[in-house]
Amino acid sequence: MRTTLQRWLGLVVATGALGWSACSRPASAPNQPGRLVLVHQPLWGNPAPFEALLEQFRRDNPEVELRTQLLPNDSDVSHQFFLTSLEGGSADFDVLVADVVWVPEFARAGWIADLSSEFPPTALAAEFLPAAADAVTLEGKTWAVPWYLDVGLLYYRTDLVPRAPRTWAELEAFARAARTRDPSLQGYLWQGRQYEGLVCNVYEAIWGFGGQSLAGDRLALDTPEAAAALTLLRRLISTGVSPPSVTSAAEEQTRLAFQNGRAIFMRNWPYALGEAQQEGSAIRGKVAISPLPTQHGEPGFGALGGWQLAINARTPAERRPAAIRLVRLLTSLEANRLFALEYGRNPPRRAAYLDPALIAGAPEIAQLLPLLERARPRPLTPYYGMLSDILQSEFSAAISGVRPPAQALQRAQAQADRLMGAPR
Amino acid sequence: MTERRQGLLFVAPAVAVLAGVALYPILGTIWLSLHRSILVFHEHRFVGFDNWATLFEDARFWSALVTTLYFSAVAVSAELALGLLFALLLHGVFRGRGLLRAAVLVPWAIPTVVSARLWGWLFNPDHGLVARMLPGDEVNWLGTPGYALHAAIVVDVWKTTPFVALILLAGLQAIPVELGRAAALDGAGPLRILWSITLPLLRPALAVAAVFRGLDAMRVFDAVYVLTGGGPANTTETLSIYAYKTLMRSGDFGYGSTIAVATFVCVSVLAAIYLWLVVPTQEPA
Repeated sequence: MRTTLQRWLGLVVATGALGWSACSRPASAPNQPGRLVLVHQPLWGNPAPFEALLEQFRRDNPEVELRTQLLPNDSDVSHQFFLTSLEGGSADFDVLVADVVWVPEFARAGWIADLSSEFPPTALAAEFLPAAADAVTLEGKTWAVPWYLDVGLLYYRTDLVPRAPRTWAELEAFARAARTRDPSLQGYLWQGRQYEGLVCNVYEAIWGFGGQSLAGDRLALDTPEAAAALTLLRRLISTGVSPPSVTSAAEEQTRLAFQNGRAIFMRNWPYALGEAQQEGSAIRGKVAISPLPTQHGEPGFGALGGWQLAINARTPAERRPAAIRLVRLLTSLEANRLFALEYGRNPPRRAAYLDPALIAGAPEIAQLLPLLERARPRPLTPYYGMLSDILQSEFSAAISGVRPPAQALQRAQAQADRLMGAPR
Repeated sequence: MTERRQGLLFVAPAVAVLAGVALYPILGTIWLSLHRSILVFHEHRFVGFDNWATLFEDARFWSALVTTLYFSAVAVSAELALGLLFALLLHGVFRGRGLLRAAVLVPWAIPTVVSARLWGWLFNPDHGLVARMLPGDEVNWLGTPGYALHAAIVVDVWKTTPFVALILLAGLQAIPVELGRAAALDGAGPLRILWSITLPLLRPALAVAAVFRGLDAMRVFDAVYVLTGGGPANTTETLSIYAYKTLMRSGDFGYGSTIAVATFVCVSVLAAIYLWLVVPTQEPA
């Protein structure tokens, strides 16, 4: 009996010691001096052009060993990855991509380096599109450099409606008219699943009703404009202009339905245009894009999406020049053009849209300039990552009819205020 | 006196371990619930009962509590009813009984995450077996408020009924066979025996099963989280999921701890009620 007990005790002590030694190891092995690690999300398509760009960096910087590391193709999981490794003080990577809504959070947490001396905010504002420059500056400092952009657009079928609708009322009327001719058609598809895409869709509607994202330091949620926007989105579903399936749809479900010719209108990112115009697409040559509709008919504001390049705050000073050179190369005008032509990614630099090679090679991207100039970021606040969970659930409740829009907004406002530390 | 001291000495290690692994974390969480603590931004300050004041006005907390109570009540009732049925069937004498008793345990043996994934596919609106087999209009089970919570209940019942059945089977085997035989001699039918003899004698076993399952269901996390993530529109969000999301996803340790402590209080109250219901039945024995 005693021997068993002793054995058990021994085991417990041994396990504890193991656990302790595992914990007391340095959080991560430091990066080797000459090595530079770039963490980015998958680009899809042919890897060769991007590889060639990295090869150019290697040729110009022979003393640096450049390595790349891929993130999972899921923005939430990637965010979790950065949260754990950056909070843990990891120096395993030097240059990292950040979603447009992460930059203020990473900057406030002290995870990414201040780039103001190499990329002054004034220079960014002059060279890049306004929303893109806004999204990477916080309190007059630059924290990241825009890599490529995304913006929410309205897609419409040129063979089914006379022109792009300017107001929501027009969109509803056009959809009704087209559906009386062909009742099998769906009206307006958008992304209503409880996820980040829903937040983009709702903010676009709020801006279209004249609402703002922030009121001072608070989120502007419990406002008449936001209530009108959510009421409209709910009404689109309850009156059948949008099918009930939008409440569980993300980008790809809506794109597939639209591309198969089953719908009249769709809200989506620019990538869907390239797909729709491909050979074999049921709607090839019958689809066009426009700004999203608004309440009064002025061109709508699309939500800004996309990725920025930032530098890990833990990157030692001797590696910083190389990291800066890499960011400079990847966000240069040539890189902008390459990403547009080879990967269909929208350049953040204004000059790229006037580039003859880009206009000739990717006219569908060149035409996005006016839309991108009107793009707006979701609320720029360090707390965004924490807020999005609240926004997603309350917006989802409103559009699926679980509770009235005004009530959902009140609840969201109360939760957001508390989280952001607003006085009660 | 020395004997008493010796006794205390022997108990001390157990007390120390319990204090270390149970009491300390609970007190720590309660202390944390009095702070605003967002580690990412190095915010940590004492706020007194602010978090608790928020909690009482937090509609999301109350709906999570209602969801959890509803989930527990429906799931545990169904498990007890089905478990009793299975236990009575397995108690009978027939060929292959041992094999069947082992087979019934399979859902209980599968890790919860795996079974939740499995059921996630069964409920899939496009390819799922459930959607195919049920008549009537197609229902997106996991995407429709009202349906999703019941889908989660189905998964929980499927998974834990074997556990209840096993406890009740043990209870049944402790009942002397003679009682039933004597009642049959006196002319009692099978239903009458079940109602007047088996069930009253099974009451301690039923109570044990209800306590275990009830407390477990109040803390339900994995099955629901894997199945729906708390959606659609947070209609399947239980207390544990709300606490997890606040703690881990939002990084709000102060308020997350408040929710966790509130969950702990709810479970403790429930445990006290159960004990109060169970203990009197043991006194006469």
